[in-house]
Amino acid sequence: MATLLVDGRRVEAQAGDSLLVALVRAGLHPTGGGCLCAGGDCPNCLVTVDGVAYTRSCQVQAVAGMEVTREHLGDEEPALLAKEPTSAGNAAPVRHVHCDTVVIGQGDSGREAAREAGEAGLHVVTLDAREGQHVTGVYPGPLVVASDKAGRVLHVHPRREIVVATGAAEIQPVVPGSDLEGLVTARGAAELVAAGIDLGRAVAVGERPAGLPERTLTGHFPVGEGGWELVRFEGGGRIEAVVVRRHGDTGAAEERIECDTAILGLGRNPRNALARMAFDLPVRVVGSAAAEPELPPCPREGTVCPCSGVTVADLDGVWGRGFHEMELLKRATLAGTGTCQGGVCLPYLRSFLLERGGRLQPAFTARPLNRQLTVRELAAGAHTAVTARSPLHDEHLSLGARMDRAGGWWRPWTYGRRDDEYRSVRERVSLGDVSSLGKMLISGPDAEAFLERIVPTRVATIRSGRCRYVLMLDERAYLLDDGILCREVTAGPGSGDLLDDGMLCREADQGAGDRFFLTSTSGGSGFFELWLRDWAEAFGCDVRILNQTASLAAINVTGPQAARLLARAGARELPAFGRHRAVRIAGVDCRVVRLSFTGELSYELHHPAADAPRLWRRLLATGAGFKVQPHGLETLLRLRLEKGHIVIGQDTDYDSTPRRLAHEWAVNLDKGDFVGRQAILRTNKQPLDKRLVTLRADEPPAREAGDPSAEGAAIHDGDRYAGYVTSDAGTTADGGVPMLGWLYLDAEGKLPREVTVDGRPARRVDGPTYDPDGERARTAVDTASETPENIRKLPVARSEATDLAAEAPAEPPLLRRLEATRVSATSKALDALVERPPWIAGALAFRIAPDELLVTASPDFEVASDPHAIVERETAFSYVWLEEGAAERFLDRECEWRRPDTRPALAQGEVAGIPAKLWFEAGRTLILTPAPFAAAFQRRLARSLAEIDGDGA
Amino acid sequence: MSLRIPCPTCGDRSVHEFVHGEIRRVPDHLTDPDERDLDFAFHHDNEEGIVTERWFHALGCRRWFEIRRDTRTDRIVEPEES
Amino acid sequence: MNEFVERQMKLTWRPPKKSYDVAIVGAGGHGLATAYYLATRHGITNVAVFERGYIGGGNSGRNTTIIRANYGIPAAVRFYQRSVDLYRGLEQETDRWLMHQQKGILWMAHSEAAVRAERMRAKLNTEFGAETEFVEPRQVRELCPQLDIEGGGRWPVLGASYHPQGATARHDRVVWALAEGAMQRGAHVHQNTPVEGLILDGERVAGVRTAAGDVAAGAVVSAVGGHVSRIAAMAGLRLPIRTHRLQAFVTNHYRQQFGPIVASSELFFYASQTARGEMLLGAEIDPQPSFSYRSSHDFVQDVCRRALHLLPFMANLRVLRQWTGVCDMSPDYSPIMGRTGVPGFYITTGWGTWGFKAIPAGGEQMAELIASGETPELIAPFGLDRFARDRTMADRGSAGTH
Repeated sequence: MATLLVDGRRVEAQAGDSLLVALVRAGLHPTGGGCLCAGGDCPNCLVTVDGVAYTRSCQVQAVAGMEVTREHLGDEEPALLAKEPTSAGNAAPVRHVHCDTVVIGQGDSGREAAREAGEAGLHVVTLDAREGQHVTGVYPGPLVVASDKAGRVLHVHPRREIVVATGAAEIQPVVPGSDLEGLVTARGAAELVAAGIDLGRAVAVGERPAGLPERTLTGHFPVGEGGWELVRFEGGGRIEAVVVRRHGDTGAAEERIECDTAILGLGRNPRNALARMAFDLPVRVVGSAAAEPELPPCPREGTVCPCSGVTVADLDGVWGRGFHEMELLKRATLAGTGTCQGGVCLPYLRSFLLERGGRLQPAFTARPLNRQLTVRELAAGAHTAVTARSPLHDEHLSLGARMDRAGGWWRPWTYGRRDDEYRSVRERVSLGDVSSLGKMLISGPDAEAFLERIVPTRVATIRSGRCRYVLMLDERAYLLDDGILCREVTAGPGSGDLLDDGMLCREADQGAGDRFFLTSTSGGSGFFELWLRDWAEAFGCDVRILNQTASLAAINVTGPQAARLLARAGARELPAFGRHRAVRIAGVDCRVVRLSFTGELSYELHHPAADAPRLWRRLLATGAGFKVQPHGLETLLRLRLEKGHIVIGQDTDYDSTPRRLAHEWAVNLDKGDFVGRQAILRTNKQPLDKRLVTLRADEPPAREAGDPSAEGAAIHDGDRYAGYVTSDAGTTADGGVPMLGWLYLDAEGKLPREVTVDGRPARRVDGPTYDPDGERARTAVDTASETPENIRKLPVARSEATDLAAEAPAEPPLLRRLEATRVSATSKALDALVERPPWIAGALAFRIAPDELLVTASPDFEVASDPHAIVERETAFSYVWLEEGAAERFLDRECEWRRPDTRPALAQGEVAGIPAKLWFEAGRTLILTPAPFAAAFQRRLARSLAEIDGDGA
Repeated sequence: MSLRIPCPTCGDRSVHEFVHGEIRRVPDHLTDPDERDLDFAFHHDNEEGIVTERWFHALGCRRWFEIRRDTRTDRIVEPEES
Repeated sequence: MNEFVERQMKLTWRPPKKSYDVAIVGAGGHGLATAYYLATRHGITNVAVFERGYIGGGNSGRNTTIIRANYGIPAAVRFYQRSVDLYRGLEQETDRWLMHQQKGILWMAHSEAAVRAERMRAKLNTEFGAETEFVEPRQVRELCPQLDIEGGGRWPVLGASYHPQGATARHDRVVWALAEGAMQRGAHVHQNTPVEGLILDGERVAGVRTAAGDVAAGAVVSAVGGHVSRIAAMAGLRLPIRTHRLQAFVTNHYRQQFGPIVASSELFFYASQTARGEMLLGAEIDPQPSFSYRSSHDFVQDVCRRALHLLPFMANLRVLRQWTGVCDMSPDYSPIMGRTGVPGFYITTGWGTWGFKAIPAGGEQMAELIASGETPELIAPFGLDRFARDRTMADRGSAGTH
């Protein structure tokens, strides 16, 4: 016995009762009336169970403590449903099952299909509604999604075949009175009787119900030729009588048979919605699901679609007004758009259209969902996109930063000291985390030729050790991104003068061919690599490309005291403006790039991600004497605006050609072909329409309350709308307001000089409003007088490779940063390298692409057969070993793709919504994931393992 | 899962792991450089049928490869099929 | 009794003639609206609309029924505002119940960059006649009490743009009312009549070849969705169009009233409540070009996951039905309307994911172009020649939105 609460009243259910049986046993009709099929095919037993509405009571077991509400009782609007405490707990757990064949339905034909496939040696998965496995849809993949009894959602991935053995639904009666209580289908009656429910005086119409004791029937009226036809049910609320007459004779006398229950056996309709849904997938339909639908007689009167309350009169109405197509009939009445998805009405709609139009129309499209799962069940297995974390993320948090999502990364927006962040850059020295910049190493015989075709500037004139601002255009000459291009210090024989003692300059030892370092903006870093590789292949260039976006952190040291700070932190020699060089700072090997985005003396320190927190802390400590204050993104946007530097995506638009951006200076049309060149030539033949300009207002524009900026405000040239403001960061020290904005040329093709912004006067200016000649950024630096502070005592950051093989799974599993080496070389060279590796025994080597290798060795080897190979220290990944069983359970839930059967094996793809590399050994599994996602991966791993353990699975 | 894309390095994966790339073809009858450039920049075959296209396995090996797909059904066409 | 059963419209089918003044390919919203406005505004009724299936069976019957004008560029704001205005009067004009409900749209921002974008949207919209304001989180909460303003702790709402004129209407009824209005005045609509070719007279398009025979026409308008590249190729045109799937789904009836339409560009979904009380959700187009009407599980899976951050009340709602349409995407996310350079051949395409909201204005303007021979000022920026003229109409207000 189990006690349920139904509409607030206690109801006792017997062991094995479905909720429907329990309700009927208690004398309750779930929806107040309508023929019960007990097969999940009709909407007549829908109730709300534990807050989930539209639950088919015939398809769930009655469980003690269940709270059931019957919707038709029309209680007042429910209060807002209780919110889950966090969204993280909202999705149901998923389980991925890979197999050869999945058989849906375990009636006779389903069992037979499963047996045959099993005997053929196939891995078979069976799904059966009676086991609580309700299939919601068959999808491309192929994928079969089903609920299961444990509250999980099953995602079954069959490699070979989907067998649909879902049987047939019974045709429901469509006559007046079909919404009374006391109607059941033949199969429904059998189920109720088997449960020991007394149907009282029962009359059977149509097929004689199987398995029903003779004594339970007080009458039986076969339908069709030579038999009877159903006319109506009579009663008030509950059925009192069935009315029939001789088939095919509307003038025949009606017979009225009093009863307590009418049992309807009106024919079968194949349950083929899943098969119809799967029309172009490897699906096989067996048993009665494959049968031709039986067409009931055209309905005369009554409700055709109980879900939407559509009557025969409604059908006649729309038919008479020109709605003759099946889809139009459906849309004009909404018949077939309810929970049962046409289960009841579809046969009748077809017979109606056949009779009225003389043409048998096909069934309307079968669409998911076949069985309606809840939003939290459907969300099972999905993860929201992860926002990447810089290696300095925790440093920012400990400094009280407010983090903001920008370009797919968490960036410090402000440290809560807006004015001091600004002044620190302008007057003293500041640090900015720019680790999210995209970073690529490009090497190879064609490296220079490739870059000449990629960027519109002349690459040949960027000499060794120099760097230059570059645009990246698409084939329409629209600006995709911008960045800094550095030519490596190619110190072959004779260029040893660039080498200073104590500096690491491994490039110097290689000395063969060209090698470049190219950055992109943070927002573009996801697109950067695929864009470069796409063009490299299109041009057939022989290059190696290594994505170092997550490998390298970057700290911008900026402000008048920047050089002094770095000198005190141990920098022996710093690059001049427009140059870059390798410098060891505070024991960390950095590539120091000197250009400026803030307008002040700036050094961008690119260094291994693993060393970032140490370098950051050391710079803060050393900078205490300069009152160093890190600046956030908000301040950076303000600083650059005073210099008129554009921000991709904020100031640029889809159609931003270099001409519109006033960036023609960054384009060299004489150097040969490059991406976007022909488009520049083509569009230059059209008159210019607008230009991105710097504006300066002497007073702040009028603002809405609370709006800190004029961004988006209209620019007017007299009465003419002349564009809008893209950037405004407020008033500068001299009281002016610099802005960037799109300005449309006037009718004469000229750019106006004097305009208004939100009604306030503003003036177009040429060049930046702050330090127009750029003297502050270019200033010559003399750090000779600076003495390094305690630098000699600082240990040098070592890159000792992680001894992965020696580590074992630990409890709880914690991700840690991997110390390894990444190699980009020709696939042939890598084949040779892997065959006879120069690294120490026990190192693990992962071939993550045909031309890329990740190896747990120190980066002190060469790739013999590829002089252009890139071999770099790699700290971009985090790793964790899992014991085999835990890994299996975790991956069954969080990895939807089929995993390799062999050991050892490497596999790559999405796991828990995050890109991962899996290394399977006997007994244990290694997971590698990019360090910017490690925190999210750790959280998802811990939650999954905890929930799986909670399942007792 | 939805559409599965066969990566030659990593195997079948959900379409979500990839970035789609089109192989653009400018018709031969266009000869003027500006006309060819305009066509290359903006126009598409938008073919209803089997197309050869590029995919980048962003969440795996991070490499481009080519496959053929029927745009009417999203079915991946095996190399030996015509 | 189902109050949503259609009880007013009458569709009148007539046999095809050999010749019409105007032949329109595609009896979706845009094709029928063109016929409707030709008839009602210009008295041009010798018009036929050819449809390969049934009326409104393409994207007109598969969209998420949202009407709004909060776009990102001046020309688009003006154009869509015209459509918002026409929609508002359409029930009265046609004397038909279209279930038009003005409910407002909230566009959520979860980052400083998005706050900035929504503030900019509000200013630009206001400048060009579409009322939009930036609202703070507490106002968002007042406008939509079901919304978890904390975003489940992960996607907090930092503010939103609010466009009070945002509305919905029953997509099918809009189609039928336009069809009925055109038919009543003499226009013909031919269902199950695919156009298989164009009749060319020299350079000029002079009619259509249909499954039911050749039909001459003074002007031919392509208003097809999903297969426009094929129709354009019949006239020798290559288009800047790629066709992608767009999916959506509805839940069962939700018993509370869910007031506005809510959208999040960062979580990539939007939600509204239908007149029947279902929650209707949509998101982005599928990434690869496709003409398949298949729905996928990952779509409903991902959108459910993302929606739960902001709409946790949806956790226990059951999803009832998914469906798919195929959208003609232009490279700049703006429609393409007007002449084609081929005499006698007009086009209205590039309706991407924003076609439904443009139906009345698109039809009105195309009708005016055909009737007057002059391209109306409102749609002049949207011509097919804009790509060659380097005047693309990139619209951030339409990308990522519907």
